[in-house]
Amino acid sequence: MCKAQPFHSCRGLLVENRSLIQRLIARPEFGPFVLLVVEIAVFWGFNHDFLSPQNISNTLAFTVELGLIALAMTLLMTSGEFDLSVGSLFGFSPVLMWTLFNSGLTSLEVGFVAALLVAACIGLVNGWFVTQLKIPSFLVTLGMLLVVRGTALFVTDGFPQRTWSAEGSWLAEALVGDFFIGPFRIYMSLFWFIAAAIALGYVLTQSRTGNWIQAAGGNPSAARARGVNVSGVKIGLFVLSSVMASLAGVISSLRTSAANPNSGTGYELEVIAMVVIGGTALTGGRGTIIGTVLGILILRVMRNGIVLIGVPGLAYNIFIGAIILGMMALHSWLERRHQAGT
Amino acid sequence: MAEPLIRMQNIRKSYGRVQALEDANFHVNEREIVGLLGDNGAGKSTLIKVLSGAVPLTSGDIFIRGKKVNLRTTSDAIAHGIETIYQDSALVTQLSIARNLFLGREPIKPPRFLNRMDQDAMNNVARDLLKQVGISKNIPPTTPIGSLSGGERQAVAIARAMHFDSDLIILDEPTNNLGVAETQGVLSFVRNARDSGHSCIFIAHNIHHVFQVVDRIVVMRRGKVVADDIDPKKTSVAEVERIITGMSDKEIRDAIADGKPSH
Repeated sequence: MCKAQPFHSCRGLLVENRSLIQRLIARPEFGPFVLLVVEIAVFWGFNHDFLSPQNISNTLAFTVELGLIALAMTLLMTSGEFDLSVGSLFGFSPVLMWTLFNSGLTSLEVGFVAALLVAACIGLVNGWFVTQLKIPSFLVTLGMLLVVRGTALFVTDGFPQRTWSAEGSWLAEALVGDFFIGPFRIYMSLFWFIAAAIALGYVLTQSRTGNWIQAAGGNPSAARARGVNVSGVKIGLFVLSSVMASLAGVISSLRTSAANPNSGTGYELEVIAMVVIGGTALTGGRGTIIGTVLGILILRVMRNGIVLIGVPGLAYNIFIGAIILGMMALHSWLERRHQAGT
Repeated sequence: MAEPLIRMQNIRKSYGRVQALEDANFHVNEREIVGLLGDNGAGKSTLIKVLSGAVPLTSGDIFIRGKKVNLRTTSDAIAHGIETIYQDSALVTQLSIARNLFLGREPIKPPRFLNRMDQDAMNNVARDLLKQVGISKNIPPTTPIGSLSGGERQAVAIARAMHFDSDLIILDEPTNNLGVAETQGVLSFVRNARDSGHSCIFIAHNIHHVFQVVDRIVVMRRGKVVADDIDPKKTSVAEVERIITGMSDKEIRDAIADGKPSH
């Protein structure tokens, strides 16, 4: 009898005997997946244009730009930290690239590399403050948000930069070149997003680094005691987060032919919402790239869908807030079931 | 006489003006389970933290098999074969048993540049270790630590120390908050560890648990080791309690020499 044998693992037997469906339901991605399917069905039911090639193409184009930031944020949040400065970097990096190019200091490509390098340095500073000075990432990246946004506004006097000279540039073609697959207009950025999702999904679930990221978020002192360089892992992820935000900003700027110092305002919270809705724990230790991809799609489909069915765009935040609360309740319930071994 | 596995000599540790350890001398022999006892504030936790590299000592020397070592970090201690298992903080609850066992030393599948963990190898070793330490084979190694009981978590931590050939396993309050049956399970893991060639330091507030498993008892009081050769088979629990709470040195010597029957 299980009760008489404490180490005879009643729990273990339960875990092994769980059916495939039960295990599927227990996964953090299950809730977001169901929500996405329901969302698509409802919007399609209201307006059949929702699944038209043109609408799908338009939704995907912007989705992947925020998505790139959300992918990096997933790893950072799994390590127990988050980054509020990504929205400001999304606005600042294209401004820097175009300023360098328009002033004749560098070519567009060198300006692009310079923007990524500056973003990497900003990530490094964020990571250093958080890991070495032990200041919470909320405060550090909030400060950095203001520094970066303020710099973008100061450099440009608050005006957008000229961007029309990008036509014909191989950089623009590589990042946002578009082509048609049947009736669907596809931007190159979609491939960058898919590549990033596969690479970071691999890192998180298959690689040694992924184990360290989860351990750094789950129990940093235990990870440190095992010789894991927790500070190094976190600093690396802050750099990744900043570079991805910078890349997303440049892609958006090239696609829309605009480099506005104010662009990206509020994106940090939307990105964190995408990650959390997808099932990554806000407290760290557990993250899922598949969940984040679902979270990205849920929010973008919601934004697109409510406009298509005639709900005023200003009501968008009401739906997002409701989704976050609902998903948090679901994740919390699943977590408790999981801990109870049922 | 053979050189002990661990010898700590004249260890002093101060936090500002507070003297936590005052010339403490302590040793652990090969294949020996030592019970470290003392009241709150006696200095046993500080002594263990110094030995596990968690806090630096103010002065004194630590020798492993007669060779002087410098344990500045927990990684240093692990590299020297000293593993500390705390009640709650040794494992990552979100990770599986296998991933916890290999955390920081994950085997990599070729090609190495892909940095890919060999999860099959990790699971196989974990399965064997769980059996070896006494846990039923029915717990899959992919089970998250968060869904294990307190006793099972201790077993996983002990299994990890055994697998990586730690010479000394320090167990800090391993039976806290455990039920009777689970406590017996943990005590049997500790005996298994000794039988397979490891030494252990066992710290617990419950003296009865200590008496059931240790070969020798060491008592600390006010930052000093006041008795280091108490044989649990020849000394009673009441006697040890008196030593912990403050007998004079002469009274301690007399009590140990009397060799009163245990329990």
